[in-house]
Order: sequence, then C-alpha cells, then structure tokens
Amino acid sequence: MNDNRLMEDVRDGRVEKLAILFERHHVALFNFFLRLTGNRAASEDLVQDVFTRILKYRATYQGEDRFAVWMYKIARNAHIDYLRKRKETFPLDEQFDEAHSPEPAPEDRVVREQESALLARALAKLSPKKQEILVLSRFQNLKYREIAELLDCPIGTVKGLVHRAIQELGDIYAKLSNEVCRHEV
Amino acid sequence: MKCENIRDRFPDYLTGDLEPKAKAEFDAHIAACSACGEELRRLSEIWTKLGVLPAEQPSAALRDRFYTMLEGYKDGLEAEQSKAAQKPRFSFSFRQIRLRRPAFQFAAAAVLVVAGLAGGYGLSRSGGRVSRLSREVESMRGMMAVSLLQQSSSSERLRGVSYTSQLKEPGQGTLDALLLALDNDPNVNVRLAAADALYLFASNPEVKEGLLKSLARQESPLVQSALIDLLVVSREQRAVQALKTLIGGEKLRPEIKKKAELGIQQLSF
Repeated sequence: MNDNRLMEDVRDGRVEKLAILFERHHVALFNFFLRLTGNRAASEDLVQDVFTRILKYRATYQGEDRFAVWMYKIARNAHIDYLRKRKETFPLDEQFDEAHSPEPAPEDRVVREQESALLARALAKLSPKKQEILVLSRFQNLKYREIAELLDCPIGTVKGLVHRAIQELGDIYAKLSNEVCRHEV
Repeated sequence: MKCENIRDRFPDYLTGDLEPKAKAEFDAHIAACSACGEELRRLSEIWTKLGVLPAEQPSAALRDRFYTMLEGYKDGLEAEQSKAAQKPRFSFSFRQIRLRRPAFQFAAAAVLVVAGLAGGYGLSRSGGRVSRLSREVESMRGMMAVSLLQQSSSSERLRGVSYTSQLKEPGQGTLDALLLALDNDPNVNVRLAAADALYLFASNPEVKEGLLKSLARQESPLVQSALIDLLVVSREQRAVQALKTLIGGEKLRPEIKKKAELGIQQLSF
C-alpha cells in the first residue's frame, strides 16, 4: 500500500497504520535532522515530534501532495520550533556559533573518514536555508518541484539555491581541506 | 546555447533529471566550453562527495517511544469513541409525551424496544471497532518483531525477541520466527532470549512441539538448561522421552545431565 493511502487511513481513524509510515520514513527523517542539527538526541526528539504532529494534524491531510512532501513540511516546522527554542536557551552570540558548528559527537562518528568529517563541517557552515535545500535535494529523495512546493517558492529559486549552495559548499570544503593540510605539515 | 542557460540546468544534470534532448544539447555545450565544463566538474565533484556522508541509525529507544506514543494516542481515541457511543444523541423528557390510549402506549413500547436493540447493536459495533483496532496494532507489532528477527545485527534480533513479549496473542508467524531463532540463531543470547520469550506461549501445542524438537538440536548448555525449565513448566509428558534422549548424548555436561534427570522426576510427579 502506498504512503498516501496509508496516511488517508490514518486520517480516517485507522491510526495504527502510522506504524508502517514510521517504519518507512523514520531513518530518513532522523538523518535529515541529524544533518541539520548535528545532534543525535535532538534529532530523535524531532522525529518523535514529527510523528506526534502527524497524529495531531491528521485530519488536515488532503491526500493531494505526496505524503513525503507533507511530512517534510511538518518536519521543517518542527525544526524551526527547535531553532526558536535554542534561541531562547542560548544567548545570541553563543547561538550564532552553535548554529554554524554542530556538536562534536556526530563529527567524532564520521572522523573515521576524514573526507566525510570535513564535509559535515563544511555543510554546517552553510546558511540554514542552503543546508536545508541541499539536504532535501541530495539525501531526502525529493524532486525540485516537491521542494518548491515544500518551501512555497518557484522551482527556479530552488534550482538557483541548490546551485549556489553546492558552489559555496565546494569553496568551504576546499578551504577546510587546505587548513587541515597546513596543520598536518 | 548560452552559458547562462546551460548553467541553469546544472541542478537537473546533477540529479539526472535532464530530458534526453536537453541532455544532448547540454553535453555538446560542455564538450565545447571549457569554463562551463570546469564549473560542472567542480559541482559534480562535491555533489558526489556528499554521498560519502554515512546514513546514521537512530537508537532503539526511538522506535519504543514511537510505539508507546501511538498506543497512548489509540487508547485515548478508543476512550473517546466509547464515550461518544454511550452518550445519547438527543434528549427529551418523557413527560412531554402523554400517551393515553393503550394502542399508542403499545406502539411506543415497541418503538423503544426496537430503539434499544438498535442502540445495543451500535454499541457492540463500536466495541467491535475498538477490539479491531487493538488487533491491528497487535498484528503490526507482530510484523515488526518478525522483521527485526530477520535483521543481520544481533542487537536488532534481540529487540525483535523482546517485542514478542509485548504481544498478547502472537500469530503463528511470530511463534515460528521465535522457534526458528531458538534453533538457528548464531548468537547464543538471541537463542536464550527466544527460549525465555517462548515461555509465555509454552501452552501452545505447536510451541510445545517446537521446544521438544529444539532440545535435541541445542549444543549450548545455557540454552539446554533454559529449554529443560520450559519443558518442565509446560508439563509436557513427551518431554520425559526427549530428556532421556538428551541424557543419553555423549557430549552432555554433567550439570545439564543432572538438571535433565531432575526434570524427569518433576514431570513424573
């Protein structure tokens, strides 16, 4: 049964069907949040938050969008609320640093491969908007058309942003690689 | 075509979404224009590199939290539905109707009987819906358990076993998966956990049969010991013969032999 049919069943009261949607999507969602926050615990909380919101707002599901697009709309809102809460928790100057460097835990995990560690660092240095658009297009299996729908903007804007985000990521990555090389020499 | 138009197509090229005709034009331009070629090479390189970022797995706690949340929500929903089913849809006072003639009184009584029967039917249908929901979540958990038992990681398989203990009435597929784990799982901890989980369902004839057959196949003393306990608890008389066969085996450890002998005595009481 496809995702849309399952979500329609959930909307119509057969809420146990959400278990199948959870099994299909929770790992991808977890990685979406992990790439944006760099924090495993927060990413798990956010995944839980998304599925709680899906239940809460199940009556609003129209079945017109692909389920994944609707789910990522909810995921984005959950992430925005998370960032807002962090703003309240951290003073402004600290918060700026935090937003641009993920917590060390995931970096340690990827350190086995210097390349992926560097990439994770480079990705974290992009603006949240570019990070998000790059993660959605590269990892979450969403088409540009769907991302445009998700972000409520023209498809040309999405493509332009993806282009600039990759360019910028390449520049940051090259810079970080040079720093590492200088450090090692 | 202008460089600007070609560069607009870079994102589609990266995701492999260029139409064949557009792709041919694109390739021709890239072959002829070194500046666009160089930019595309840089973008492709970083786009491909992103693929090395590993996909992480969340902790097991996430799945448990989700199922707890879902069950809590479902329980709340069922409680609401039961409440709604019991609540009268409309109310009126019997004093408002005064039926003096016996024929009218009889007709009114008949209407009330029919309404009562219909209400009862409605309530029983609502109860049926509630139990159907519970059955479906139960079957979903069963499916989850079976799927976890087939994972390559032993910790996932252990979690699969622990899921089965949350089932009230596991289906035959779940019991078969547990018996299969008990017989064949390469990890002794999973085999032991499967034996413990089967304890809850030891009264099921097919589980009893599976446990009897499994005893002869086990080599780990830990699992042998757990199975002896299980067979004794299940009061399965055929276990006496299975235990005797076990005792006759060559490689059996003395402590297990002793336990099997004690088991035969307990089963003979």
